[in-house]
Amino acid sequence: MSQVDIVIDGMTFTAEKGSLLIDLLIKHDLKVPYFCYHEALGADGNCRMCMVEIEGQKRPQIACDTLVKEKMIVRTKGKNIESVRQNILELELINHPVDCPVCDQAGECKLQDFYMDYGLYDSHIDQSDKVHHRKHVDLGSNVMLDQERCVLCARCTRFTSNITKTNELGIIGRGDHARVSTMPGKKLDNPYAMNVVDLCPVGALTSKDFRFKQRVWFLTSTPSICHGCAKGCNIFIDHNREKYKDDRIYRFRPRENQEVNGYFICDAGRLSYKELQENRQFELLLNNEVCQEEEALKAYGELLDKHHEEILVLADANLYTEELEVIQAYAESLGAKLCCPMASYEDDAFADVWLKSSQRAANAGAVEKLGIATELPEKKVSLLISFNHPDREKVRADRVVSLQTHAAEEGTCDLVLPLAVFSESTGSLINEEGIVQFCPKAIQHNEPVPTVIEWITLLQGGER
Amino acid sequence: MKECKIVSRKFDIDKSHTLAVAKEHGAYNAVLSAFELSSEAIIDIIRESGLRGKGGGGAPAGTKWALMPQDELQPSYLVVNCDESEPGTFKDRQIISKDPHLLIEGIIITCYAIKAHDAYIYIRGEYYQFQKILQQAIDEAYAEGILGEQVMGQDYRLDITIHRGAGAYICGEKSALLESMEGKRGHPRLKPKQKEPEWYFGNPTLVNNVETIASVPYILKYGAEGYRSFGTDQSPGTMLFAMSGHVEKPGVYEAEYGTSMMDYINHYGGGIHGGKRLKAVIPGGASTAVLTAEEAAGANLDYEAMRVMGSALGTGGMIVMDEDTDMVEALKNLLEFYHHESCGQCTPCREGTGWSDTLLGKVLEGRGTSEDIDKLLELADTMDGKTICVFAPAVAIVIRSFIRKFRNEFEAKVTQ
Repeated sequence: MSQVDIVIDGMTFTAEKGSLLIDLLIKHDLKVPYFCYHEALGADGNCRMCMVEIEGQKRPQIACDTLVKEKMIVRTKGKNIESVRQNILELELINHPVDCPVCDQAGECKLQDFYMDYGLYDSHIDQSDKVHHRKHVDLGSNVMLDQERCVLCARCTRFTSNITKTNELGIIGRGDHARVSTMPGKKLDNPYAMNVVDLCPVGALTSKDFRFKQRVWFLTSTPSICHGCAKGCNIFIDHNREKYKDDRIYRFRPRENQEVNGYFICDAGRLSYKELQENRQFELLLNNEVCQEEEALKAYGELLDKHHEEILVLADANLYTEELEVIQAYAESLGAKLCCPMASYEDDAFADVWLKSSQRAANAGAVEKLGIATELPEKKVSLLISFNHPDREKVRADRVVSLQTHAAEEGTCDLVLPLAVFSESTGSLINEEGIVQFCPKAIQHNEPVPTVIEWITLLQGGER
Repeated sequence: MKECKIVSRKFDIDKSHTLAVAKEHGAYNAVLSAFELSSEAIIDIIRESGLRGKGGGGAPAGTKWALMPQDELQPSYLVVNCDESEPGTFKDRQIISKDPHLLIEGIIITCYAIKAHDAYIYIRGEYYQFQKILQQAIDEAYAEGILGEQVMGQDYRLDITIHRGAGAYICGEKSALLESMEGKRGHPRLKPKQKEPEWYFGNPTLVNNVETIASVPYILKYGAEGYRSFGTDQSPGTMLFAMSGHVEKPGVYEAEYGTSMMDYINHYGGGIHGGKRLKAVIPGGASTAVLTAEEAAGANLDYEAMRVMGSALGTGGMIVMDEDTDMVEALKNLLEFYHHESCGQCTPCREGTGWSDTLLGKVLEGRGTSEDIDKLLELADTMDGKTICVFAPAVAIVIRSFIRKFRNEFEAKVTQ
């Protein structure tokens, strides 16, 4: 394919001949409204919002079904085209309930955005003239449907027919009685179902998990990587630190990365944010009694002195590469063995051929790269220092120091030190394809829990 | 009036739907002459005859046939469109119930010309009785060796299958029809960027109306010139015009293109019912611009003349309305139909058909204002030319023609 020049709104752009005009407009941030088009789903041409004027064409054309041609002259602005968009937008809104105050999509709704961009007209219709549909349909898989808010862009139905190929969703009825539905008695049921919530440009599909929890304009989105498996899907962590309260995660959303996950994530990964906030270990425990940091450090020093003959350090394969490197150096300085048994991370039942990997450790790639041993030693050790490894209890040891993110049953450790989870720390991961991806720190607690690197500094007598 | 019976020749013969009677009157004679010609030669004859698609669009059939690949790298298909749902149109059902063998004969010739070995007839579900007659005819043809592995003893296989639709108007649109046949919702497809055939499961497919295909045997028998001896230069041949509404003898009568509309109505229809005066005619199925009595007086039944009048010949199904007709009620009746039948794919049509129906309902209930009438016209502009198929533009044409030509009747409803 050859590169050609085309003129849009008086500016010249170079694009591949035969590529979609709308992709070019999106790429260069030239605003055109659209509901049905989506890079992952392609053009469907049903919403008729992305109308542009093309010189030589009598009627306005939809950009999502227009191929780039040499010397094409396109106008996205101007009185004519804007009034066309306004008229079509008005039709989109005619049977819309306009219940924005109670709608979870408010703030990230395309209908709202486009109304502010192109609408701003006085309503032509009485509230009583609207066509009504069902407002609370539990589709299954945490997805709630409000048929009245739907603009029938068919993104969700195309997702289930073209992407997951599970075909649960369809449009039934004709004309203004058309609505999204499942087959009678059937549910939306596939491991990627909740992506339809992100795909939905309006508030028709909302997440049962997220709805009514938080207004989206209060949320801060921090880019991160899902720790659900070794695939390393790119996500946004949407969190909010309300006044006087702790920073809280409200949802994970997929973040586009064509090298890794495309546009989507699995539902298991999406809901894994909950684990970061449930059953967490916040207190330091010395012989199962809450203690202060000073006491704990002193006790740790004593344990090291008394039981230094055979020390084993276990490191979780979900820790960041930088953290594993520091642990590796620390183990070496102690003359200890470092090990990361991988057996319990294998989960064939979880895997599929798309985004779900049987390797559930997010940073298995780094364990391999750093050459960390993966076989659990059979010999009993005198001291075990575990950095959040799930197999800690399988090791026979005289004394146990456990740095852990989540609370465990009491009575098995001499010393328990709370550890920050990945969203509270920063570092990089190596996914199963060897791609290195960086995660900035997302969550700032009022009383932050130390990270691996902070603990090792403290354990070595340094300061945080 | 010049008598011309090309498609309707056997309509008045008793039991003409049976193979024996049909054969007695010359059925399948054209097939043998077609087999002596090459595919390309047949397409040339059709092109020269100027045969136009009779489903509403009036596109030259030969040009469409020529788009079909002759290389046989993939299977080709013929789909005969018998989803006759346009209000006021009831001609195809006459063909399939009175002379089904003429259609089968046309299908054989067409398939031979486009190198297809499978033909489908898509019949609207409501045509159950007619479908039964057609299926009997197909069964008879199979039994006689007219269809099947060796068509009439030739080394050529052809199978015909009837596919019953579920009763959606939009499935008469050829791409929606194919979607429906593929087992999907009947939604029109995005238009291709260049001239190409239709696609059925990814294979090149020709979609033609029943009457178009039924005209083919005559052209093969009498040649392009024979066909061109009827009609006008640009609209050659004849059409099964249908007439309904306020006429003495509603029905389907074949006439040549270019016939004067009033002559047709008076000659075949016996004039306006009860000796009343004519008020308006919708010329070619509901989706064409309505003509006033004055316009109808000067109208000729061919594509070009109708276009000049700002309307269209469409399917040739005339709806005749006398002086007592309430044009607001008439438009409401049509809008209810469009509201019910819009497939709901494109926003302007999905919401526009419903809203226009609601607005006019308000006017009829006496709650409307003159602003509502203007709103209807604005809405027509929004629906026109902004959708995938021509459903919404047709609704726009209907709304505009009714309101512009009979505005006083609409105004009377809002001021009362």
